[in-house]
Amino acid sequence: MARKWLRWLPAAVVPAVVAAAALTGSYQAGAAVNLPEKSSAEIIAMIGHSEVRALSGTLRQTSELGIPQLPAAGPIPSVRQGAGQGLAAVIELTGTAHTARIYLDGPSKARLQIMDTLAERDVVRNGRDLWLYNSADNSAAHATLPDATATRRPPGHGPADRSPADRGPANNGPKTPATPGIATPEAIAQRFLAAADPSTEVTVGDATIVAGRTAYQLVLRPRSTVTLVDSVTLAVDAASGLPLGIQLRSRGQAAPAFSLAFSDISLSAPESSVFTFTPPHGASVKEMTVPSAAPMPGTKHAVPGTHPAADRPTVTGKGWDAVVGFPAGVLPADVRSDPAFAQLAQAVPGGRAITTSLVTVLMLDDGRVFAGMVPLERLQAAASPQ
Amino acid sequence: MASELTVLFRRLRTWAMLLALAAIPILIATAVRLSSHPVPPGRGPAFLDRVSQNGLFVGMTALLVSVPLFLPITVGVVAGDTIAGEANLGTLRYLLVAPAGRVRLLLIKYSAAAVFCLAATVTVAAVGVLAGVALFPVGPVTLLSGDTIGVGESLLRSLLIAAYISVSLLGLAAIGLAISTFTDIPVGAMAATVVLSVMSQVADNLPQLEWLHPWLFSQYWLGFADLLRQPISWTTFGDNALLQAGYILAAGAIAYGRFTSKDVLS
Repeated sequence: MARKWLRWLPAAVVPAVVAAAALTGSYQAGAAVNLPEKSSAEIIAMIGHSEVRALSGTLRQTSELGIPQLPAAGPIPSVRQGAGQGLAAVIELTGTAHTARIYLDGPSKARLQIMDTLAERDVVRNGRDLWLYNSADNSAAHATLPDATATRRPPGHGPADRSPADRGPANNGPKTPATPGIATPEAIAQRFLAAADPSTEVTVGDATIVAGRTAYQLVLRPRSTVTLVDSVTLAVDAASGLPLGIQLRSRGQAAPAFSLAFSDISLSAPESSVFTFTPPHGASVKEMTVPSAAPMPGTKHAVPGTHPAADRPTVTGKGWDAVVGFPAGVLPADVRSDPAFAQLAQAVPGGRAITTSLVTVLMLDDGRVFAGMVPLERLQAAASPQ
Repeated sequence: MASELTVLFRRLRTWAMLLALAAIPILIATAVRLSSHPVPPGRGPAFLDRVSQNGLFVGMTALLVSVPLFLPITVGVVAGDTIAGEANLGTLRYLLVAPAGRVRLLLIKYSAAAVFCLAATVTVAAVGVLAGVALFPVGPVTLLSGDTIGVGESLLRSLLIAAYISVSLLGLAAIGLAISTFTDIPVGAMAATVVLSVMSQVADNLPQLEWLHPWLFSQYWLGFADLLRQPISWTTFGDNALLQAGYILAAGAIAYGRFTSKDVLS
C-alpha cells in the first residue's frame, strides 16, 4: 500500500517544481543589484552623455488606467478593427498592453513594429521617406519628410530609386546633435533639477535590471498632494546612459498605471534591410503631406499642435496640478459621436468626463474641454469661473 | 513504437480525422474561389483577404481557423483514447502482460499522440498549399510587417508554423493522456480533454483573469503570427515550448502516478 502512494509522489512534486521554476524565473528580474552610487544630477548627465545611436530591441507596454477593458473576443479584437482612427486609437494605444519592436540606426533610420495579435502596425523611416503600414487592412501611407539641406525631390515615386546608402547619416549631418553646443549635460542636469525642485522631489531609487542590463532608477515624485500622479520612475542603463524604461504610478494603486520598458535590447546596429520598405503588392497606398513634424503613433496627447491664436489653450494651476482648458471648437465633433467615447465617458453635471488613474478629461456641453493629471473636482473648479 | 504507430494510422478513425482536417483548407479555397465578391480587408479571419491574391495564404488561413477547435478536437480524441481505449477494448491487461512495463507503455502512447499532432498540422498546411496552388495565383508573400518574401521562404515559414502549432498541441496531448489513465471510457476522456481546451481559451479571452493567462496552455496558440514578422520574433516560440514542456512534465507525472498505482482489470 505504501508503495502505491509512493508512485503518486511525482504527481504531487513535479507540478509544484514546474510552478516554482516558472515563478522564480519571473522573480529573478526583481533581484537586488549593486551599482556604484550616483546622484540624481549625475544620472541625468549620464542620459545627456549617452552616445547610443543604433539599437534594436523589444518594448513592452502595460497600462492599468482604470478604464473599462473590452474582452478581446476572437482572433481580431473589435477594438483593433478601429485602430488608427480617432479616440479609439488613442485609447487602444495607451490603455492596453502592447509589445513593439524598435530598430534605430543613426538619426534618420528608424522602424517601429507594434505587434498585435495576428496583425502588425509599422512605422518605417529611412532618410526622408516615412512609411506607415497596417497589416490588418493592408494599407500603407507614405510621406516625404522636409529636409532643408537636401534638394527637394518630387514627392512620391520614392521606393523605386531609393537605396539606403544615399540617405545615410551624412545626408542629415547638420541635424545630428554631434556637439551639444554651449551647455554640457552636467550643466543641463543642474538646471533641470533646479527648475524641477519647487514642484518635484527627484531621488535615486534602487538599482534594477531592465532587459538584462543593470540600470539606475530616477524617481520623480510630485510635491503636490492634489495630483493623481504618485511618482514617475525612469530606468537608466548603467553602462550607456540610455533610458530603458519609464513607469508612471498613480495614487492609491499598487500596479503601475503606465509602464513602457525594453524587455530585450541590443546596442549593435540592425541590418540595413530592416529599414527598406516597399509597400506590398495589393496594398492601398496613400500619400500624406507632413507640415512639420512626423506623426508619432503612441504619443499620448494626440492634440494637433497648430491652433489659431484665438483657440490657444489656457492653463490654470502650476506644475503637476496644471489644468489645461481648450475653448469650444478645438475638439473635433466626431469624437463625441465615437462609440468608444460613449463607453468611456460618464455623465457629470454640465457635461461628460473620462476619469483614469492618471489623467482626467472633462468635456462640457458648451464645447469646452479641460484636462489634467488631477481629480475631476479640480477640473470642475477650473471650468466654473468662466 | 513502430507497431503503435501502425495501429494508430491503420485506424479508420485517424484517417477520417485527417481527412476532415484536410477538408478545411479545401473548403476555404473553394469558397473564396467561387465567391464573386473579393473579401474586404479586415473582415473574417486574418489573411482571408489575401487568399484570392496569393494561394499560399490558404494554408495559413486554414491553420488559423483550425487552431481554436478542430485541431484540439482531433488531438483530444487521439490522446483521450490512448489508455482508456485499450482498457475499454479489454486489451490493456494483455499489453501489460508483456514485460514492457507501464512507464514504457505510457511513453509510447504519448509519442504516438505527439506524432499525430505533427501529422494533423502538416496535413492542414500541406493540403492548404496544394489547394492554394491549384486554385489561385502564387507569388511572393506579404508578411505582417509589410515586407515581402519569396515563395521558397514562405513555404519554409509555413512549415515553421506547422511545427509551432504541433508544439502548442503537445501540452494538450499530455493532459489527454493523463485524463485517459483515470477512466475506462474513452469518450469521457476525449470529451474532458476537448472541454478543457475550450475552457482554457475562454479564460484566455477574459481580461479579468489576466493573472491566470501565463499559466494557460492555450496562451500562445495564436502566437504563430510572430513567425510571419520580419525579422522573425522567436521569443514566442521559446516561451511556448517552455510552457508546453511544463505541462508535459506535470501531466506526465499525474499520468505516471495514476497508471502505475492503478489496478488494471480490463
